[in-house]
Amino acid sequence: MGNSPMFWRIVRRLITANYGRLFVILLALGAGAAITSALLNLQIDAKRRLTTEFRALGANVIVVPRDANATSGGTLDQTVIAGLPAENAGKPVPAVAFLYVIGEVAKAGEIHYQAAVIAGTEGQGLTQVRPGRRTEYSAELEKDPAACEAGAKAAGQFKVHTGDSLHLRNQGREATCNVFAVVATGGAEDTQIFTKLATAQTLAELPGRISLVQLSVTGTPDSIDRFIKALSKRLPGADVHGIKQLAEAEGKLYNRISGLLTATVIIVLLLTSLCVMAGMSNVAIERKNDVGLMKAIGGSVRRVVRLFLAEAIVMGIVGGLIGSAFGILGSIWLGKTVFGVAAEPRWIVYPVSVGITIIVSIASAFPLRRLASIRPASVFRGEA
Amino acid sequence: MFLRLVADSFTRRPKRKMLTLAALALGMAVATAALSVSLDVGDRLAQEFRSLGANLLVTPEADSLPLEIGGVDYRPANAGAYLPEADLGKLKTIFWRHNIKAFAPILEAQVKASPFSEYSLSDSPSWPAFTVIGTWVNHEVKIPDGTTYVTGIEKTNPWWQLKEGRWFREGGNECVIGKNLAAAMGTRLGELPGSGGVVAKDKLKPGSTLFTYTLNGHLGPKLDVVGVLDTGGPEDNAIVVPLDIAQSLAGKPGEYRRLYVSALTKPEDAFGRKDPKSMTPAEFDRWYCSPYVSAIALQIGQELKGTDVRVIRRVAEGEGTILTRVRTLLWLVTFAALAAAALAVGASAAASVLERRTEIGLMKALGAGSGLVGVLLAAEQLLVAFVGGGIGYAVGILLARLLGEKIFGFTPEPKLFLLFIVLVLASFITLLGSAYPLRRASQYDPAPILRGE
Repeated sequence: MGNSPMFWRIVRRLITANYGRLFVILLALGAGAAITSALLNLQIDAKRRLTTEFRALGANVIVVPRDANATSGGTLDQTVIAGLPAENAGKPVPAVAFLYVIGEVAKAGEIHYQAAVIAGTEGQGLTQVRPGRRTEYSAELEKDPAACEAGAKAAGQFKVHTGDSLHLRNQGREATCNVFAVVATGGAEDTQIFTKLATAQTLAELPGRISLVQLSVTGTPDSIDRFIKALSKRLPGADVHGIKQLAEAEGKLYNRISGLLTATVIIVLLLTSLCVMAGMSNVAIERKNDVGLMKAIGGSVRRVVRLFLAEAIVMGIVGGLIGSAFGILGSIWLGKTVFGVAAEPRWIVYPVSVGITIIVSIASAFPLRRLASIRPASVFRGEA
Repeated sequence: MFLRLVADSFTRRPKRKMLTLAALALGMAVATAALSVSLDVGDRLAQEFRSLGANLLVTPEADSLPLEIGGVDYRPANAGAYLPEADLGKLKTIFWRHNIKAFAPILEAQVKASPFSEYSLSDSPSWPAFTVIGTWVNHEVKIPDGTTYVTGIEKTNPWWQLKEGRWFREGGNECVIGKNLAAAMGTRLGELPGSGGVVAKDKLKPGSTLFTYTLNGHLGPKLDVVGVLDTGGPEDNAIVVPLDIAQSLAGKPGEYRRLYVSALTKPEDAFGRKDPKSMTPAEFDRWYCSPYVSAIALQIGQELKGTDVRVIRRVAEGEGTILTRVRTLLWLVTFAALAAAALAVGASAAASVLERRTEIGLMKALGAGSGLVGVLLAAEQLLVAFVGGGIGYAVGILLARLLGEKIFGFTPEPKLFLLFIVLVLASFITLLGSAYPLRRASQYDPAPILRGE
């Protein structure tokens, strides 16, 4: 194609000759590009965020002593906490060590003691591994070194509220703690008293020991499995396993939801591309007269097709660049609406969706190939 | 004549019309598929979330504090309150009875058990006591209205799965044994006097027999092991038996201590979280008649007297957050798809009007008014919209079906009102897309068009 400036001049004229058509084409291509980039971006982001959302379910991995069963009540050494990984899949892993003691508890000033489970805790993120609602809470009192938290049912039984003190005792060993919160989880935690780990260790006379560690690990089901395997290797004396109730349900739900999302996105993208393509082909057929004229003044079929392909590519690039940019901006806003946090734009999505738009645009020019069989004379005579 | 003109434009250039039609049908297929998935997905996902297990826990109201660690209650059998098993049928009489998907009562007891003769146990103080969990499996509950309902722990706690064998049958002396206990009991058998010091290497497995001996010195039933249970929880160290056997072992006939209820609920919104005590009567009615987990808890409490019904927060709230997010997400995808389809279809409609300038010019030259030309073209577009919308609806329903089967293993019901929505949408979009070019067309001066300028 020796005559390059002329070629591009024709392309330019083809594009700008009819502004109405130009607008229609850009609208269709841009809409397709916008939805492609928005959905792709949102889909990548949503799957990642879904794993984070699952953490609303609380601890999903537990570390217990190897010989622990209901009857022997073995314990672990407290030092295992230091050896726990701080993050998985780029997200911090809340981990809390528990030591359970069955002791006797009474409200300060009362003599009537009742048996209750005292749970000593240590670690970051108690509220993450033990989801529930704090019906009462005082941040001020939480700083108290002898602060403790009462389960809703236990608080009712001992008639304590935030600010009251509890006496704890177990086989002659005693401690006092000040309630800074009342927590309702609906589970066994409602009946327990949560103290500092050291307090429970003193009461149980088990210094440096813990019953178990609960972790809330973020990640896809596979990534959580790998986390468990790696941790098992690192802690040979302990039994690390997923909490089956959550692990199974989470895996199932994750697969369902991400499958649903992927399938919906694929179908929507496919249909949208086809829809754009059909609309564009409709526009392209209109070029019959142009093709007839070009052929009449001596343009070879190859040359003519190349001209229209160049036009399609230019349109695809322009429509794709504008539409995809809008789409990514849109997905940031959508992410904010759904997850409350703006979706992170993935820059890989931009070239991908521009690429798809160019392909759609070229494919839409496909009917022009059939125009190669047009005889110029019949076009000029107005026979359609 | 009018109809003839419309019909003629279809038969004269079928290929052209086919493309407009295809664009429309595809656009409407996106709309139908996305809409029907979004409409159905909430209910389907709510069902899926039941694999997380019970979201309500019922315990006696006037009770001593349970000494529960890791799912096992360490209170002695004579401490604390119990609830009557006979009342449980009332659960299926509450307002939201159809939302109660499953329930199972639990009663625990401590027992000595060995695969040898029961007498050997009395001589062996070192042999530990085991936890026996009594519950329902495939249990037929009598409902006060005269019907029966089958439910059990395998429905409330779907992660209680059998590694070997089958679940026990009620009425027989059968039990299922936790996988850790099955292994541990085998290795400790040598400690029993009756074993003659032989350590059995075999685990307990379906086919073994367990002799039981209650802690206060009575002989318990002889249990046939029919299955090995794997729950990943404390039940792996326990013996699971039909509720009536646990009742006789604990000496508490007809009673239970904890009830797990699995209910289909609506995620709690700001209104659902309101304290019912602070509501106006109208608000209370609306709240009571919505399947919020807290409303269902209240209704259960009204039926089962003397109970404390608590919402298991980690399940209920986790479910609520995730469901709301997924639902919003799908609606947004749906609307985005609708918008894109609308733009593409509109563009296609606009193109189909643009290309007909010559025709419009001719019509006007022959004396047609702008209004008539507009109505003629609009009628054509509407016809395309109806046919395209109809085809799109059919394709969309098929796709939604495929999606439903692939992902949830069920086929969504085709919804007829979607057809209506899709047709309205299709007409609206095509007319909107044609409006601007039609306006321009009506302003055309016929002469230059006919001259080909």
